[in-house]
Amino acid sequence: MSLNTDFMGKVAQTAIQGVPVTLQIVLVALLISLPIGCLFALIRIYRIKGLEQLVKLYVSFVRGTPIIAQILIVYSAFPSLLNMFIGKVAFSINPIYYAYIVFTLNSIATLTEVFRSALQTVDKGQMEAGLMVGMQPRQTFWRIIFPQALISALPNITNAALYLIKNSSLAFIMSVKDITAIAKTEAAFNYNFLEAYLVVWVYYLIICYSAEVIFYLLERYFSKFRRSTKKTTFFNWKPLSIRQPDLSADADLAKGGRDEHAQNRPFKKRL
Amino acid sequence: MENVRLIINFLGQLLPAINITLVVSVSSIILGSLLGLGLAAAKKSESAILRVISAVYVSVIRATPSIIMIFVVYYGMPLLFSGWFHVNIEGWNRMYFVIIALTLLFSAPVSEIMRSAYESVSKGQMEAGLMVGMTPFQTFYRILLPQAFVVALPNFANSVINLLKEGALTFTIGVVDMVAKAQMIVANNSGGYAWQTYCALALIYWVISLAIDKGVTLVEKSYQAKRKTIAA
Amino acid sequence: MLKIDHLKKGYEGNEILKGISLDVNKGDVISIIGPSGSGKTTLLRNITTLERADGGHIQFAGVDKDFQKLSSQDIQTIRRNVGFVFQNYNLFNNKTALQNITEGLIVARKVKKSEAEKIALKALERVGLSDRQNHYPSQLSGGQQQRVGIARAVALNPQVIFFDEPTSALDPELVGEVLKVMRDLAESGTTMVVVTHQMNFARHVSNKVIFMADGYIVEQGSPEEVFAHPSETRTKEFLTDILANV
Repeated sequence: MSLNTDFMGKVAQTAIQGVPVTLQIVLVALLISLPIGCLFALIRIYRIKGLEQLVKLYVSFVRGTPIIAQILIVYSAFPSLLNMFIGKVAFSINPIYYAYIVFTLNSIATLTEVFRSALQTVDKGQMEAGLMVGMQPRQTFWRIIFPQALISALPNITNAALYLIKNSSLAFIMSVKDITAIAKTEAAFNYNFLEAYLVVWVYYLIICYSAEVIFYLLERYFSKFRRSTKKTTFFNWKPLSIRQPDLSADADLAKGGRDEHAQNRPFKKRL
Repeated sequence: MENVRLIINFLGQLLPAINITLVVSVSSIILGSLLGLGLAAAKKSESAILRVISAVYVSVIRATPSIIMIFVVYYGMPLLFSGWFHVNIEGWNRMYFVIIALTLLFSAPVSEIMRSAYESVSKGQMEAGLMVGMTPFQTFYRILLPQAFVVALPNFANSVINLLKEGALTFTIGVVDMVAKAQMIVANNSGGYAWQTYCALALIYWVISLAIDKGVTLVEKSYQAKRKTIAA
Repeated sequence: MLKIDHLKKGYEGNEILKGISLDVNKGDVISIIGPSGSGKTTLLRNITTLERADGGHIQFAGVDKDFQKLSSQDIQTIRRNVGFVFQNYNLFNNKTALQNITEGLIVARKVKKSEAEKIALKALERVGLSDRQNHYPSQLSGGQQQRVGIARAVALNPQVIFFDEPTSALDPELVGEVLKVMRDLAESGTTMVVVTHQMNFARHVSNKVIFMADGYIVEQGSPEEVFAHPSETRTKEFLTDILANV
């Protein structure tokens, strides 16, 4: 067994042009879905009538169906929808917009659950303390509760971002010219698929690990108030210790809509 | 209304292909759990090399897109087998490659779930078991395992649902599963009724996911009920 | 100054407070004692509107209404005139000791930042924590956190400060520093209502002791009356039990 290393070098050079495309999809989807996910989480926590059920249904659907099915639905439904509304032929649309739509819709569902469980980890005493120094509930939420929730959400936001990066490798199905698509085309010439995909794999590993490091630094920067005595050294630095993120946080997510018997009283009760 | 009728019609056409999805999922769950168990044991072992291998493996899988894993296994395994063992496996049923890829993907999160569930059961439980005269195996089997099982269940179910969804990529290497079937139907209709077809596809997966969720909730409830009766 | 009449509160048909009346005058230091589950904490939470009472009347800071008829304006008025010290401190985790105190001043009272910091520093000095102003709650011991909690309440200069079992969550060796701060406050004339299990504090610092059981006020009076000459059997039993365990 031998790999065609010359070809791998060549693919590495051409496929790198797909890296910005992949990053673009991930960033756009993440930036749009973060605020919307937060909004949806609030709708669920405050039990906004009507909307709550819709959000629940939406999250359940997105989390219960394969991303490939979501891609196929959006890719087939949106052109005719656009046709109906603006009467413009959808073929002229850059396929990357479909990728934005699919991955944003997908991320919103993940992040809704992330924010929901993060907001529930903030002790309700924080709200009470805010009220007792005379602040309004809204002021207390934005100044005290939200910043704390955001930080406890960071590890799960990291997971959501990794999930998104990995899923974005399916953008080639919508004929987006991302890393995978470019490598696939290159490979098709000489049937060097294995070499091409090994290169792509390495690129994804690099992107995912970089994302983990960036999020780790963010987390460390913003959670200064949490560190009491434990010092970070080179050796227990998280990306180096190759540790999986906290699964208990995932457990919250896994439970999704069915943890009505939550042990953690959300802060909003007893306002 | 017309759309609902169409979707129901497509459901009927897609459902026969569910066999492939189920075979792929169930085999990967079984094999992946075994491999996961091995990885978890490696992570807890005395040998530093085993621990590092297990940790690196889990970390790499965490950063690997499922489609790439499927492709690498599909194109790489035949080369590996012919090069090392001089066995030609290119004629294998393509489903086997998907099962192998999904097993590799599934084993990583499962090993972490098993490990953290095991760690969540306090050390005192083992000590207490030994102190009342049970053997280590008896204590593990009768005391630790049931407790760890309850802890692991929700996460395990979540991973199973993820596996089910990753399995929907089977079609990419030419196995005719439900997704491939849906694409064929769309092609036969010259691209017509596409979104209705794919909605039918999504519905099937949604129902399976909801069923898994519901099943886990029921099992959890029954465990909680047991605990309550003991407490009362 | 603060007058509560027939305050009632129940959860799901379970009556916790069965009509409590309470008078607080300026400079009072009132200790509320009683077995757990007697409704002491619920009483404080209802007076301060953290929970909505089912019935009763409040007269305080210009508000003179039934609890059920309080407008959000009234609630705001009440909250701005009370201080609250929580059992689990409830310091804002994402703020330093100093910021914990300035937060309410700046956001709720619209005090200028520089002015707020001056007030906060003075309050920290009063509880002996000037050197910890830039520490986050996670970097402080329980006793220090509770002292910041007290400083936070004091800095707002409320008419009355409520203490909800302020030492119950503390390790025994840290109780002393918090009680000392509370004693200093009492001696400087601060109006305080304290739910406590610290019988020494109740007996020697407060000027009035209330004994509660089962949602009623069983007995009240000067510390001397309640501790030395209790007239009710419930009070006698409680005091015998608790003093036997000291």
